[in-house]
Amino acid sequence: MRSFSLIDFVSLFAALRWTVALVVLALAFGAPLALAFATGRISRFAGLRWTMAACIQIVQSVPLLGLLFFFYFGMPMFLGIQVPALVAVTVAYTLYTAAFLGEIWRGGLEAVKQAQWEAGSCLGLSAWQQFRHIIAPQALRLSLPPTVGFLVQLIKGTSLASILGFVELARAGQVVSAATFQPLLTYALVAAIYFALCLPLTLWSRSLEARLDGSR
Amino acid sequence: MALVEIRDVHKTFGKVEVLKGVSLDVEEGEIVTIIGRSGSGKSTLLRCINALETVDSGEIRVEGERVHARMPDLKAFRQRVGIVFQAFNLFPHLKVERNITLAPLLTGRIDKARARALAEDVLTRVGLADKIDAWPEQLSGGQQQRVAIARCLAMAPHLMLFDEVTSALDPELVGEVLKVMEAMAKQGMTMILVTHEMGFARNVADRIVFMHQGRVWEQGPPAKLFANPETPELASFIASAK
Repeated sequence: MRSFSLIDFVSLFAALRWTVALVVLALAFGAPLALAFATGRISRFAGLRWTMAACIQIVQSVPLLGLLFFFYFGMPMFLGIQVPALVAVTVAYTLYTAAFLGEIWRGGLEAVKQAQWEAGSCLGLSAWQQFRHIIAPQALRLSLPPTVGFLVQLIKGTSLASILGFVELARAGQVVSAATFQPLLTYALVAAIYFALCLPLTLWSRSLEARLDGSR
Repeated sequence: MALVEIRDVHKTFGKVEVLKGVSLDVEEGEIVTIIGRSGSGKSTLLRCINALETVDSGEIRVEGERVHARMPDLKAFRQRVGIVFQAFNLFPHLKVERNITLAPLLTGRIDKARARALAEDVLTRVGLADKIDAWPEQLSGGQQQRVAIARCLAMAPHLMLFDEVTSALDPELVGEVLKVMEAMAKQGMTMILVTHEMGFARNVADRIVFMHQGRVWEQGPPAKLFANPETPELASFIASAK
């Protein structure tokens, strides 16, 4: 046993980069997929709408922990596919992000009046041009506050990756706590770091909500 | 050949037959006003001319070309036929200039260098040159509707459709929009309007079409129609509209 020292402090902050890395990976792969989900959910093809809705429903109904277990432990057992932990975790967080962000963005897209599509098509714009220049920018404004809100969820959700041995912030906390026998101090510090990470985002989301009330 | 030829058009929504065999010709440069009670099929007919709705049977031709939602050059067709809606439908996230120039730029009608000049030109025609940098939400209803008209004019359409464009406006704002439309009429634009503004119909239109129960019930020059309606339905409509 040793006392809590600078080295522990440093190791917590060093682990922070994995937390950030997981968030970045989740967004990098999850956001494009979320866009696909969102547009698929408002497609005029019923089959595509149902398929997307089913995918989203499944992912949303499974706990994030369950997703992580499935891709890390389940895939090798059921399908005989052994994937590196980083890949398994990335896939799980990607699906998680895509499902929730996709629904948020779908809500934003549907909140834009149908007449806006019509106005665009009456000016001779293609469906893609209507989406790209008329619908998507308005939907983005509407979706920005809940999107930032989800980001906070995602940051906290990365702590679950500690279960698969990722030394991100939560796991580093366990390690430091075990080494120093100072769980209270250690976890308080971990909590403070999460808080410092999420608070600005929450405040930003609030101010966005006030500023972009959808009127423009 | 008439600019717009409508032949025995039928249109049903669910179980309701909204158009029950409508035939109508509109010549180039003509101002035709469609009047009638709510539910008589006026707006539906207008939307069919622009392929926003597809007719069930019969046919509509504009400049000789058959109109339907799957026509191969629908996008080009829509640029030739402008439509202005009751609810303006400006793009709220874009300034007035961009509202006007978006479609001409995207469809390749003009290049970037000429965009602002085009916006200035059409805004001048609707008397709003000073609002080029405004956001739609900063404008009154009447001004928004004039911007919507300017946005249509920017596509240099051959035909313009107006779907109750003054119905959502406060009474004191109706006049400014009608004045713009009157000026367009004088410049020779072919226009088909659905309106409840009987004064405008009487003074500006070349021809009034009275629709009733999904049919063209009676039509003719405004002076004749308003003075001597042939059918009791039109007579009672005129009486109630006064």
